[in-house]
Amino acid sequence: MSAAAETALLRAPWWLKRHETLLAIILAVALVGLGAFNDRFLTLDNLLNQGRLMTEIGLIALPMTFVIITGGIDLSVGAIVGLSAVMLGYAWKTFAFPLPLAIVFALFVGGLAGFVNGFVITRVKVPPLIMTIATLALYRGLAEGVSQAHSVRGYPEAFYVLGQGDVLGAPTQLLILIVLIVVAGVALDRTTFGRALYAIGSNETAARFSALAVDRAKLVVYTLSGLASGLAAVVLVSRVTTTRMDMGMGYELDVIAAVVLGGTSIFGGAGTIWGTVIGLVMIQLLKNGLALTGVKGDATIVVIGAALIVSVLIASSLQRRRE
Amino acid sequence: MNAPLLDVRNLEKTFPGVRALTGVSFDVRAGEVHALLGENGAGKSTLIKVVSGVYQPDGGEILIDGRASRFTSPEDAKRAGVATIYQELLLFPELTVAENIFLGHAPRAGFGRIDWRAVRTKAEALLASLEIDDLAAGQIVGSLSVGHRQRVEILRALSHDARILIMDEPTAALTEADVTRLFGIVRRLKGRGVGIVYISHRLDELFEIADRVTVLRDGAYVGSRRMADTNSAELVQMMVGRRIENLFPKTLVPIGAPVLEAQNLVCHPMTRGVSLTVRSGEIVGLAGLVGSGRSELAQVLFGITPAERGEIRLQGEAVRIDSPEAARSRGIAYVPEDRAVQGLVRPMSVLNNFSLAALGALSRFGFIDRAAERRMAEAGVKRFSVKTSSVDEAAGRLSGGNQQKIVLGKWLANSPKLLVLDEPTRGVDVGAKAEIHRLMGDLAADGVAILMISSELPEVLGMSDRVLVMREGRLVAEFDRAHATSEAVGGAMMGGGANRERAA
Repeated sequence: MSAAAETALLRAPWWLKRHETLLAIILAVALVGLGAFNDRFLTLDNLLNQGRLMTEIGLIALPMTFVIITGGIDLSVGAIVGLSAVMLGYAWKTFAFPLPLAIVFALFVGGLAGFVNGFVITRVKVPPLIMTIATLALYRGLAEGVSQAHSVRGYPEAFYVLGQGDVLGAPTQLLILIVLIVVAGVALDRTTFGRALYAIGSNETAARFSALAVDRAKLVVYTLSGLASGLAAVVLVSRVTTTRMDMGMGYELDVIAAVVLGGTSIFGGAGTIWGTVIGLVMIQLLKNGLALTGVKGDATIVVIGAALIVSVLIASSLQRRRE
Repeated sequence: MNAPLLDVRNLEKTFPGVRALTGVSFDVRAGEVHALLGENGAGKSTLIKVVSGVYQPDGGEILIDGRASRFTSPEDAKRAGVATIYQELLLFPELTVAENIFLGHAPRAGFGRIDWRAVRTKAEALLASLEIDDLAAGQIVGSLSVGHRQRVEILRALSHDARILIMDEPTAALTEADVTRLFGIVRRLKGRGVGIVYISHRLDELFEIADRVTVLRDGAYVGSRRMADTNSAELVQMMVGRRIENLFPKTLVPIGAPVLEAQNLVCHPMTRGVSLTVRSGEIVGLAGLVGSGRSELAQVLFGITPAERGEIRLQGEAVRIDSPEAARSRGIAYVPEDRAVQGLVRPMSVLNNFSLAALGALSRFGFIDRAAERRMAEAGVKRFSVKTSSVDEAAGRLSGGNQQKIVLGKWLANSPKLLVLDEPTRGVDVGAKAEIHRLMGDLAADGVAILMISSELPEVLGMSDRVLVMREGRLVAEFDRAHATSEAVGGAMMGGGANRERAA
């Protein structure tokens, strides 16, 4: 960077130097660029449809932001999606639960799976990476065992409103996601709970010595992560009309990519919900825009990988300049 | 006379928003120990980082042997013969003494292989040259005491043929015996013509080892003196810019009812049946050697490691303290020993650190009242005269004394009934120290019960109404203020058999 550009950057107002702002600018430029190539891309229909497709990842990315801010990680989210989806189908078909009760059961299983992660991480002090790798295998295995590789279909029409229908002209699940984004954003930014997460991620010992309820906060974030995965499973089943045991496979990487691209530090202590949302939108629209422009799937992944690296480079160079 | 080994002229260094150094000059001659003195934040660390090539100066000159030099990296400085020994020793614990000394510049045999025999014999020669006979070249560094590790650092510097040695608070973590031996080594190095820049807060040490002293204040040069021509009163005055009348402003206040009554507390392995009482308005000093179980006792009282057996009564009521949250809600505050790790969340702002232990009181239904939070932090900064550009500054960027005031301040916001202070003035400069002591007096006058752990005997004796001595996890002696002399307390700390009875 030239000296002049560097001074200009140093003098820029604080909000312009934030990672989220830069990312939003890059996103806007990419949107305009891709829109220019393809007139189907920047249509309301297409954008709303993309909102529908990104909701499952988005729902999980919100609590994942919390988890990563505490300095932890949850790799089992994809497996929990699979387990909850299977449980939804199993409860409805085999137990003959009414569908609303089956949905509650699937959410409960997701929450319980997350609670088990949090419980072992806080009580037995197993590192989150190890614990959730273990439960990634465990939960996926349970899903396979329970489902016996049978898929469940034929849900009542009313159920598909959640995954395929519209409310007020927008996809139902997108509205749920938007409400939860606001709730998560406010919780992180304005509440004692959110403040505790930042303190834990920056210096867990000092947080403990400041009489913050460190273990309780961690237990809550892992439970929320499981619960959100359960909700994502319900939305996903409703969208694709089928329950299969391999649902949610590989979701953990998409979720973590969105969170980290959004500027949340993988070492904990820093990050915002707004950043995660921009990261999420960016990945989804890049995928879609490139696909519409005729770029093949493999190349899309390469572009997204490159976008991740560039954004991390920008973030770390800004960080150094601030110090 | 020859040119000085190191001559620093009119050094300037500015960080965004802060003038860290303005017009600082000093010089070091061969065979001289030149001390740098100043409060925390006075610019000593910045100065040595400029001299050792970590920072580049914005103005001024550095002359080595009379020739102007510019160091763009620590390696440059090393090549010019400037070596620095920082407070945190930078050694590899899994490697041997000899490997640590020659890491990066080991003697080579053919084909780039390291000549291990030469490494060993050279290390042994270095050890012999400083007459260090209780350290072997083959020992693993991780198993050594702090004092020994520091010697390894010094040897590493010498292996680079360092002619200028900068020592940043070398005695901060050393025992008496290690300090004596360090001084022996420093004198031997002087004899060889090495110039030494010596930084320490301990004035008595400087009178013992230094030839000259330069005092800095707020990044500016205050003056230089020959140690023989000055005294501690003058140096303290130069450092803080005003006279400090009384180092331990102990005010005697009426002592009230017991606040803390602990019976037979046990927590494996370092708390082995401790009973003590601290009364309202009373400052109880807890003395003991490092490792005697003082901090462990404090952490039992604060619920970090809850007691396995025993009873705690607060203001007469039996309570269970099984977590820091329980301790806080009962009115116990703990200012921990290690402020960087336990006391502060360093990347967080001063604002957020101030409120961290009082978030419950600053929030409604879990929502933080941010205006109230800011008012509280700003009031705290004012009350404790924390030097910071704003409350939004990251706490980790403040000097040690100011960081300590924040840790203290965040706990006082809860108006505790029992305040446990663990080394409240360690690594804190004279001015901030006096302020912290005055604050302790004010709190006692307000009826707060204070338990103060300190390794600094004058502080224990000066501030306490009563002194308890801990050894091997037990309280072994108790003295009231009138009977607490340094001989008696020191003897009980070391475990002199005659002091086992309770003198109070």
